[in-house]
Amino acid sequence: MQDSTNQNNPRTVRNLAGEGRTAVAQARVILLVMVNVAQLWILAATVEAALAHRFSALLPLVVASGICFVVTVTLIFWWRPASRRFTSSGYVKR
Amino acid sequence: MSRDLGETIKRVLADETDVRSATAPHQKDFPYDREEEAQVTRREFCNFLGLTSAALFVGAAGFAGKAALDARSTPQFRSSKIASAETLAPGSSLNFQYPTTKDSAILVRTLDGEFHAFGQKCTHLSCPVYFERLHQRLECPCHDGAFDPKTGNVLYGPPPRPLDPIKLEVRTNGEVWAIGREASTGEHSS
Repeated sequence: MQDSTNQNNPRTVRNLAGEGRTAVAQARVILLVMVNVAQLWILAATVEAALAHRFSALLPLVVASGICFVVTVTLIFWWRPASRRFTSSGYVKR
Repeated sequence: MSRDLGETIKRVLADETDVRSATAPHQKDFPYDREEEAQVTRREFCNFLGLTSAALFVGAAGFAGKAALDARSTPQFRSSKIASAETLAPGSSLNFQYPTTKDSAILVRTLDGEFHAFGQKCTHLSCPVYFERLHQRLECPCHDGAFDPKTGNVLYGPPPRPLDPIKLEVRTNGEVWAIGREASTGEHSS
């Protein structure tokens, strides 16, 4: 019953969709910050390993940093809400 | 005019739109300051995080690459006489520079009369180590680390690896020459 109400009331539908998008965008920013912090730690570990001449640890650290970068690019360019159709929560496909 | 304004507002309110470029024409006609103009948009912040991520990746790759390249090249060291080393009393130390005048090193003559030399930089945070006569060990004053004066191995404290050893040669006339320097590797070893 509530679903049909949401669908018939465009204002309600728009507000709920906006809230959904805001939540997704904020989650994306938080994830990006977390990945950046992890990369900062990886850079510190890389510098320490290089100065200590532990060369076996360098490649895995660089690969880990590269994966973090790929994750960041993915989050920025391709991470979007999975569905924009009408849903029970009033999400709208554009 | 009202149509343009309406389109501008629509573009500004649309999600994931570049607010600054959308409002640029309107700002040109009606310049005024808003507090919101000084704020960073979410898209700008995301782009900044993306650039930071790229910079951190490039930094890590560059640092690792340079370290790997430096490790492949074998530096050539010249022999250098350590002045007045032959008169050094057992159980004492002497500072010198090797392989360049910028590289501080320490020569230790242990109680059994043997010479040992190491780079003076602590492997923790590069503080200069000194020879502590009472306990016959090399100590770092910054974070309470200590090294064995014979092997350079870590005795205790935060240093992650031994001191960099300097190869010595005692010649027939008693002179002590530094002939090479190595980079120590490994974790705590005793």
